[in-house]
Amino acid sequence: MKNTIKVERAKNNITQAKLAELANVTRQTINAMELGKYAPSTILSLKLASIFKVEVSEIFTLEESDWE
Amino acid sequence: MKLNYLFPSKYKKIGWMIFYPTLIFGLMTVILDFEPEFLDINVFGVFIDEIIGEKKLIGIINNNILNEILGLLMIIGSILVAFSKEVDEDEFISKIRLESLVWATYMNFGILFLAFIFVYDLSFLWVMIFNMFTILIFFIIRFNWQIRKFRKIEEL
Repeated sequence: MKNTIKVERAKNNITQAKLAELANVTRQTINAMELGKYAPSTILSLKLASIFKVEVSEIFTLEESDWE
Repeated sequence: MKLNYLFPSKYKKIGWMIFYPTLIFGLMTVILDFEPEFLDINVFGVFIDEIIGEKKLIGIINNNILNEILGLLMIIGSILVAFSKEVDEDEFISKIRLESLVWATYMNFGILFLAFIFVYDLSFLWVMIFNMFTILIFFIIRFNWQIRKFRKIEEL
């Protein structure tokens, strides 16, 4: 799964730490998601979409490998 | 959604305060074969089967209770250390927790597997005694190691 968290963060001009605080997770979790090392839960995905005021599908997109 | 069977984070410190002294004192009593006489008392027991003596379903038995005390403290201490929340527990930490638990289970039973093949008689009894606690100890080492690595991740 790909995501545009880093891009959205840049658009909104907020740091990983600030986003972590808003979503009530650790900064390292934001970091791991941006690096594609961690796929968040539905709840966290919805929270991020809500923080960035976009649809979940605008942040997260499936990759071919997700179907394997 | 919040149910996760974990203790509040403050219990981790209490866990460490029980875990370390019990581990050190416990290993010392095992190595030195230490059994102070004043702890020889009559206790209630079930499924009594003394090496030289009788078999009873329930009854009173004379026993040195030091190993019982240390065993119970070891269970309480390691459960609290292993299963108290991190201060900032989130879903990624929960993932690390789960992976560490799987790893510790493999490790524990991997060692037990080898012990079944290579260790016999009284030595195997020692393996069984240590194996009662090693699954949680392996988990504690692995999880805390992984969490330390996790916390060192720099901001990009």
